[in-house]
Amino acid sequence: MSRESVTVGSLELRNAVLTASGTFGYALEYDDFFDVAELGGICTKGLSLHPRPGNPPERICETAAGMLNAIGLANVGVEAFCTDKLPLLRERGVTVIANIFASSVADFVTITKRLDAEAGVHAIELNVSCPNVAEGGIEFGKDKKMCAQVTAAVKGATKIPVWVKMSPEAAEIAAVGKACEDAGADALTAVNTIRGMAIDSQLSRVRLKNRTGGLSGPALKPIALRIVWDLVEAVSIPVIGIGGISTTRDAIEFLMAGATAVQVGTANFVDPCAASKIRAGIQEYCEQKNVTVRELIGSARR
Amino acid sequence: MSIDDLRSRNLAPRKLIRAPLLRRESIGQAYHVLTFDAPSDCRAVAGQFTMVRGAEWGDAPLLPRPMSYLTAGEAPSILIKVFGEGTVRMARAEPGEPFELLGPLGVPWRAPTEGRRQLLVGGGVGIAPLLFLARDLADAGQKPVVLYGGRGRYDLPMRHDLKGICELQVTTEDGSRGTKGRVTDVLGELLGGDTEVYTCGPDRMMAAVAKMCAERDVPCEASLETPMACGYGVCLGCPVPLTEGGYIYACTQGPCIDARRVDWTGDHAPTRVDTEATS
Repeated sequence: MSRESVTVGSLELRNAVLTASGTFGYALEYDDFFDVAELGGICTKGLSLHPRPGNPPERICETAAGMLNAIGLANVGVEAFCTDKLPLLRERGVTVIANIFASSVADFVTITKRLDAEAGVHAIELNVSCPNVAEGGIEFGKDKKMCAQVTAAVKGATKIPVWVKMSPEAAEIAAVGKACEDAGADALTAVNTIRGMAIDSQLSRVRLKNRTGGLSGPALKPIALRIVWDLVEAVSIPVIGIGGISTTRDAIEFLMAGATAVQVGTANFVDPCAASKIRAGIQEYCEQKNVTVRELIGSARR
Repeated sequence: MSIDDLRSRNLAPRKLIRAPLLRRESIGQAYHVLTFDAPSDCRAVAGQFTMVRGAEWGDAPLLPRPMSYLTAGEAPSILIKVFGEGTVRMARAEPGEPFELLGPLGVPWRAPTEGRRQLLVGGGVGIAPLLFLARDLADAGQKPVVLYGGRGRYDLPMRHDLKGICELQVTTEDGSRGTKGRVTDVLGELLGGDTEVYTCGPDRMMAAVAKMCAERDVPCEASLETPMACGYGVCLGCPVPLTEGGYIYACTQGPCIDARRVDWTGDHAPTRVDTEATS
């Protein structure tokens, strides 16, 4: 066991730093920048049963220390992922977390079975918290019964570990997390974006075509950190921290709050090598303090 | 350099560099040229862009800004128009201030065709990638026509840099320089069977130019501008609707594209009037 490695359920990760779904493409976009296999893992763009073109523009807009997005889960579809992307990721030795999205339990299961037929998918992350689509998404994620139902159905269809990505908009997020745990989830990812909006005062119009979009970036961090803390309290499965992590220090804060690993999201837009730099930063921190990453996890709770 | 040399260039790998500002030249109130001291030769090709951000901006403004290269080499430069929070910061930057530049990004201008006359149609900051192209063409022994429009004489940055390397025609809506009117008022008489058009400027101008070229069957290449978070193909924030349906992403499948492929007229057609929609 290295100083850097962490264990998420049955899955051992090289290190605690992953990249967040929707901010890292299919990880094949990084060849010019760094070897993504060095990361603890990468979460794919949310995969649906069929390809989706996504929402019409404008899809993004910057806000104070953050941004709104309403991409609408544009993706190549699970089939093209399995044939065109996954073999290349396997070849490179990348730890792949397939983020999946559907508007029905049956479709979640169909996508899962397709992924289950492939080698090289190390975990499946259920996106039951996307704020930018008409069906499925956040409506699942706010309802603990729906979350549990999706989780149980997917667990029944695969041996691959299943993570559930939580919505910060669930009224009782700890209860939703517990329901997912009881339904067999191997880990929880917390949190997805929270809905916001922006208006252009010059033109007197809403900025995003979708009207609302998910807020991400540093502005989300304190909310995400609070939710991670509460979930770690509520469940005994690992929690993966995400929300505004831009620096090594941010990542360490989430680990100290009890997250077993972290995901870097919006920071990838600012610097394609952000996750790699944070990984190196954590390693350096641990060497300086003579601790392991495992020892950092939850250290602020003790 | 010849036209063949322009046609055979390979694109350089993309990387994030830290580059201090070498100098900032103001052009009136609204426009500035920022020149950076690159650690190594920047091999950007005309039409490519870079994501620019102050290295000490902290959490706000958060995102880098997409900017066309005005020049490449050891001292790459960009032309900015002050519009939002990011460009306000850039317009105040002093020499030595550290910046981060990701690039070179995107699809450059389509290489010119031997035997055709290049007609470059620009407006406002859209002149930056066209001036880069005009310099390349001049180096290759061509003399392109540049048709450059603005609201008034203060909206024609860099026009003096165009003199000598092209046949320059200026239009202003208020008549304070050149021909009174818009570029499209003059464009018709310049479009011939042996011309090819390159355009960059406000979306409505490019839409009008694209339409005139399509009607006359003249090839037209447009450089698109949209909000972007990443600039390298992962945020999916920069879709541009196509006539064939669906979208292309301006960052990796553009910014330079055959104007006939862009749906300039539909519900979701580009309508950007000015830059930096992210602020």
